[in-house]
Parts: sequence; C-alpha cells; structure tokens
Amino acid sequence: MKLIRITEYLDIELERERWRCNRCGADFGPAREPWKKGALIRERDPREIHFPIGPSKEFNFSFDPKWMRIVEFYCPKCAVMIDNEYLPPGHPLTWDIQLDLDQLKAKHGVTPVRKRRESGPK
Amino acid sequence: MGQLFDAHARLFDGLIYEIDAYGRRPGCDPELISRGLEPITDLERRGMAQLSEVDTELLTHKLTAIVEEARDVYMALSITESVITGDMNCALFTASGDPVAVATGIYFHTMLNNAQIKYATKYYRNDPTVGLADGDIYFFNDELGGGVHAFDMFTAMPVFWKGELVAWATCGGHQGDSGSPTPGGFNAKARTRYEEGIHVPMMRIGERFRLRQDILDFLAGSVRNPFVFAADLKSRVATLDVLRKRLLREIERRGVEPVVGGMRRILIKSEEAARARLRELTDGIFRAVMFNDDELGGQLGLTRIPVTLFKEGDGMTVLVQGVSPENGLGPMHSTWHLVRASTAVYMFSYFFRGLAPNAGLLQPIRYLVEGPSIANSRDELAHGMGTSISACVVNGLHVLGSKLLFSSPHREAVQAPHSRNIMLMIFAGENRLGYATANFTGSANASGQGGRFDSDGESAVGFYWGPFTDAGETEDTDARLPHFVLARRLEKNYHGFGRYRGGSPLVEISTCGHLGCFMSSWGSADKISHNPGLMGGYYGPPNPRVVIKNTDLFERIERGEEVDISQYELLTRRKLKGEYRLEASGQATQAFKPGDLMCFGLGGGGGYGDVLEREPERVLGDLRENLITAEVALKIYGVVVDPATGLIDSAASTRRRAAIRRERLRKGKPFAAFMRAWQRKKPPEAILKYYGAWPEPRTPGYDKPFWGLYR
Repeated sequence: MKLIRITEYLDIELERERWRCNRCGADFGPAREPWKKGALIRERDPREIHFPIGPSKEFNFSFDPKWMRIVEFYCPKCAVMIDNEYLPPGHPLTWDIQLDLDQLKAKHGVTPVRKRRESGPK
Repeated sequence: MGQLFDAHARLFDGLIYEIDAYGRRPGCDPELISRGLEPITDLERRGMAQLSEVDTELLTHKLTAIVEEARDVYMALSITESVITGDMNCALFTASGDPVAVATGIYFHTMLNNAQIKYATKYYRNDPTVGLADGDIYFFNDELGGGVHAFDMFTAMPVFWKGELVAWATCGGHQGDSGSPTPGGFNAKARTRYEEGIHVPMMRIGERFRLRQDILDFLAGSVRNPFVFAADLKSRVATLDVLRKRLLREIERRGVEPVVGGMRRILIKSEEAARARLRELTDGIFRAVMFNDDELGGQLGLTRIPVTLFKEGDGMTVLVQGVSPENGLGPMHSTWHLVRASTAVYMFSYFFRGLAPNAGLLQPIRYLVEGPSIANSRDELAHGMGTSISACVVNGLHVLGSKLLFSSPHREAVQAPHSRNIMLMIFAGENRLGYATANFTGSANASGQGGRFDSDGESAVGFYWGPFTDAGETEDTDARLPHFVLARRLEKNYHGFGRYRGGSPLVEISTCGHLGCFMSSWGSADKISHNPGLMGGYYGPPNPRVVIKNTDLFERIERGEEVDISQYELLTRRKLKGEYRLEASGQATQAFKPGDLMCFGLGGGGGYGDVLEREPERVLGDLRENLITAEVALKIYGVVVDPATGLIDSAASTRRRAAIRRERLRKGKPFAAFMRAWQRKKPPEAILKYYGAWPEPRTPGYDKPFWGLYR
C-alpha cells in the first residue's frame, strides 16, 4: 500500500485511490471526490472560539455569527480537526484539493489496480 | 490552456478575464498592461551569446546589490513616514520595460511600474511633443495606467548608453496625501476616482537630470503636505541617479552587450527556474474562498472573492471567478493588473522563495480575473482601497499554494497567510518640527505572521505587502507625525489559534499633543476576518477600529497614577473614563484632542494545525507572555493550568482534550446530514444587497454542495 502525504492530516492511498487520515489511517472515500464527504462536519458559532472583547455587540474582535460560521471537519475515527472553513451560513463548501490522480500515479510509478489485473498473466 | 482547465473550467459569457475591464484612455493602454515579457531585442540576443552561466550569476548579484543600495538611499533620504519604514521599492528594468532586479520592499510596486514604462516607450518616445532623452525624469501615480492607488507615487528614469536606451530605473512608494478630500489620501467614502486626489499618468517632470520647478510647484501645491512631498520627490530623483550611475559603471566595466544581454538572461533564468519548480509539484485544481465586509452605502455588506488554481505541468492558471459585482459605493474596487501584481508578494516571498524576484517568475502563470467585478473593475469607480480585494485573492492563493507545496520538496514555505485585516489610521496635522504631515505610522508594518508548518508565526513581523518593512522608532514618529505614541503592545487573544499559533500584531496606542490632530481610517475585516488559518488552524480574529474619546488619562498621569495602557485591558476593564467607540474601520476625518486615545494594529495571523496537537508547554508559554487568556488555554487548547502553582496539570489536560475529542465525534455530522441542515441557511438579506446572486454571485439558482462547479 503506497500512501502519499498530501496535507498535514491527509494521505492518499494511490493504488485504491482513497483519501486516508494521516494520523489514524481512517478511510475518507474516493480520492477523485472531495475528502470532506468522508469527514464529520460541525457548524460552530465563531464566538465559541474567538471570545468577544470589549463592550460592543457589533464590533468586538469576534466574528458576527449572522455573517460567518465556522465549519469544522473531523476525522470520524480519531477526531483530529483536518481543516475548517469560515463561511457565511449556508454557503457551499470548498472542494479545496482536486488532484490529477493519473499524473500523481505516473509520478510515483503506481499502476491502477484494475489495469494491473488486466495486464497480468493469462 | 491545459487539460485540467479545459475539462473543469467554464468562463462566463460576456465577462472579461485576461485584461483590465476598461479600455484605452489618456495615459493608459490596458493591452500594454496585460502583456508578459517583451520580445528579445537584437542587442539582448548579442549580449546573451557572450555570457557564461557564471557571468549571469555574477550580474544577478551585482544588480541586486545596486537595487538594495538604492533602497537604503531612498529610505535614508526621504522624510515620508511610510517610505522611511519600507512601504516602497526600487528596481532596474530592461529597455523594453520588464523588471529585472527588484529590491526587497513592496514587490507589487515594481511589478506595476512596467505598465507606465511601456506606455512611455510606445506612445511618447517618438512623439515630437514629448520624446525620450537621457536625463528625463518621469512621475506617475494613476491607478488605471498600471498603478496601485493615487497615494503610491513613482518616479522613473531612462538609462542611455552612447545615445541608446539600455534600461530604466524606478523608485517610489506610499507618499501619503494625494489631494483627496481626506488628509492622507485614503478616502473611505469615495465612490468615484475623482474623489481620490490627483491622478498622474506617466508625465515627464524633469529634463537633463533636473526637476522642472513649475511642475514641482504644481504637484506639491496639489497636496496638503507640500514640504514632505517635495522632499520625497527629490529623494527619489537622487535614488534614480544612484541606480543609473551604478548600472552605467557596470556597463563601462563589462560592456553594454553583456549587461543588457545579461539582464534579459536573468529574466529567462527566472522563468526557467519557476517552471522547474512547478514541475516538481502535483498537478491539480485547488480552491479557496474569501469574503469581505465592505462599507457600502452607509452600512456593511458582504462580498465574495474566490480563487481557483489550476496547476498543470510547468504552468499555472489563477482563476478569480464568481466574484461579487461592482457596487460603485466605495473604493474597494481592484483592477486586473493590481490583482496580478499583488500575487507577486506571495509568489516571490513564499511560493518561489529562493529564486531571483523579477517578472520572469510570473511568466508561467496565467491570470484570469473576472470583470467587471470588485476584483477587476471599470475606470470611473474609486479604487483607493482595491488592495483590500486584491489581498483577498492573495490570501486565498497563499492557502492554495501552501496546500500545493506541502507534498513537495518545498514544504518550508507552508504557512497560514500573514495578517491582512487592515484597519489603517491616518494621522494628519502639524508635527513637532513645524510642518504639515499626513500619513500612517510604522505600526502598519507590524502585523502578525501566519502559523508555519513547524513553528508559530512571528508577532509584529512586517507589513502585509512587504515582509521586509519596519515599525520605526516611536521617538522619530513622535517628531514626524502630529500625534504621539503612548504604548506599543502585543495583546491577548489577538491571533489565530492552532498547533502552531499565528503571530500577534503590534498595537500602538496614541493620543495628540496640545495642537490636536486629525485622524481618518480605512479598512475592513471588522465583523469577519481576512486571515485564514491552515490545515485546521483557526483564523486570526476580526479587527475593528478602537477609539476612546475624552479620557481622563492626562488627569491620572498628572496625579502620578500608573496606568496600564493596553487595548485588551482598556476594553475589558475600562479603567479609564471615556467614550469607548468600537466601530467599522472606514471612517471619515475626525478631530482629536489630547487625551483621546487611538488604538492602531493590523491584525493577527491565522493558526496552523489542530489546536489539540499544540504542545501544552507552548500553551503555557502563551499564557505567561500574555498572548492568550486562561479561558483560551482551557476551552480552546484543552490545557489545564493549576492556578495555585501556575503549572500544567498533565492528567487533567489529557482528560480535557479527550473530552473535546469526544464532543467532536458527538457533534460532528456525516456529510449528507450536515448538508441537509446547512443548505437551508442564509445570511440576512440586508448584508447580501451587493453580494450578487446567493450563494454564487454569477450563477442564480446554484444548489451544489461545493461552490465553483460551473460545468
């Protein structure tokens, strides 16, 4: 199994084209799809993280929750926070990493499992 | 354009992508601005044939030494506050107008100067009413002709050798006042460019190496600080003279063909080096989205600036699409050329770190910036704060670049972006030396760095647009500007949390002397932030304006009391009497008097990595250095500190972190369940008035779970 490190918390298992958690190995699904589909996702009020400072309700060094929410993405197995997004409520998520897997495989000398079988002894 | 791009991108009909969203106008030719490197000339070709690799390397170092010396000269001679502290740049260009040697400074200044040099070469050189001769001195600040905004002013000089144009020298920076309705130039309320002061496209202001007095009088007479303006302009001419003489000395020593050919070879080498680095990286599509809280028509409104990066082979396409439309209600409108040049600050300093910074590095990158939009806007609008929009592109690109570089041999450049939560106070009035002045202080150059992949972000590290800037000495600032500094501090909870936290900004708290002063301010990121974290790190916090009017500070000082002047302490404990005003950054000019306090800081960088992976000892260090509160240590980092000993309770911390992880698993939802609830939400209509269609500004009815999928 060839694991390629992609980010701090994400690997790709090249032969099977799967996203994997770098910390615990949990499977996040097909690497041709957004890894976020395999994560646990939680919406948070930004004031839970950025505690308001000062007397104003409008301007207090925290995010206005009507404007912006924090969306956290966790590994469903080890609960590490893989990433987060700060988005207006309801705004579509970001497909942040869409790799050219064919190029990546060629770079690492990995033949797709399906093709390898096809080219095996007959 | 590339298989990935062709397969996945779809440009919208009727919009402009590869050029400024306005046409030819006086002193301005967008076609020239959008060009990459000019063709190789015969002289350059002959020179390149004579050069070895060693010759080119030696010339690279020599030219770098020349522009760095020029930077020192300019900073030493100028009396303009922001130039002294580094909001400036100097460079040498080819005769065709491409920047070859760029000093450490504000890279995007130089990356924009090419436009006006090319304009003069194409339109003025053979015009009998203008011409181009040895000793000419040119001035420009027009944002449409290739500049930043009217407050950044530049000077250029052609370099001739035996009657032949062989190069150009430029220098310039943030001068300050531009004759706009607001002292200091920045007019947060401007709706058209005609409310932002003088706009000068490439104009000859001197001949035979001397400034023309009548033109100098016109320019200096157009601004509020004529003494500072004239002194700064003269210091630029002196700097250009240094650049020119040093380059001519190299020509005398090495010959004109090797130097001119070497300058071209340096550009080619940079492009080759950039392409070689790109080939090392994984191909793919990378996306990030940023938002702005711009003041629009008297109230804050939400706008969107997404970035998609297509990395294929040895090239990249930066696509800025799905941007909020122009609103015409304020100066936060950028231009195509500003977006492109702004990215140089990230690309040169981080992505291509170690490579010679010049126009060759951007040659493998194609820029598609949707217009008309707030990112690529038309000419009649105000553009004075367009850098807030181009900065959103850059910070998005910074996030994407870090994700792209992580799996490469260049991981050392992976970090959350430098703070760009601009809240810039501009002070105006008479200084202690007796002349009129209007500018911001070097505290603008002391915002927080983003958390890095292996270490915390540095606090008070530099200006967003120039990591090489300096905060300046408060004693000097007190003399040169009309206010004086009471304190400079790092404040609590003023950065992004993470495994490696972001850096905090320097917060400068000041008041006025007996003459009083005026202060205006501009910026955004008041209710949201522009400072993303990375790989699970949290954003740096929003950065509204803090002013406390009518305090009893001086009375307390006169009574001999010790007063702890810190923004956090003032806001949370309110030990000083006074009127506490927390408000949006963009405010018109107001009068201030002794005892009124102004708090000025440019925000903290985002964090890197999961907060629960931060070493407890680092959390304790933050606590002891007053960078975080005990509440953050416990609730965010899950670190329990024994109040009796001030030491970490390891067992309790382990339990606390385990509890936070259990909470994550309990409250986190699978994708489908999350989206069912999430997609029913929407921000209040009042803040979406100028956003465009919700949630995709250019695509009504968009209902996909991920943005930007237009095919």
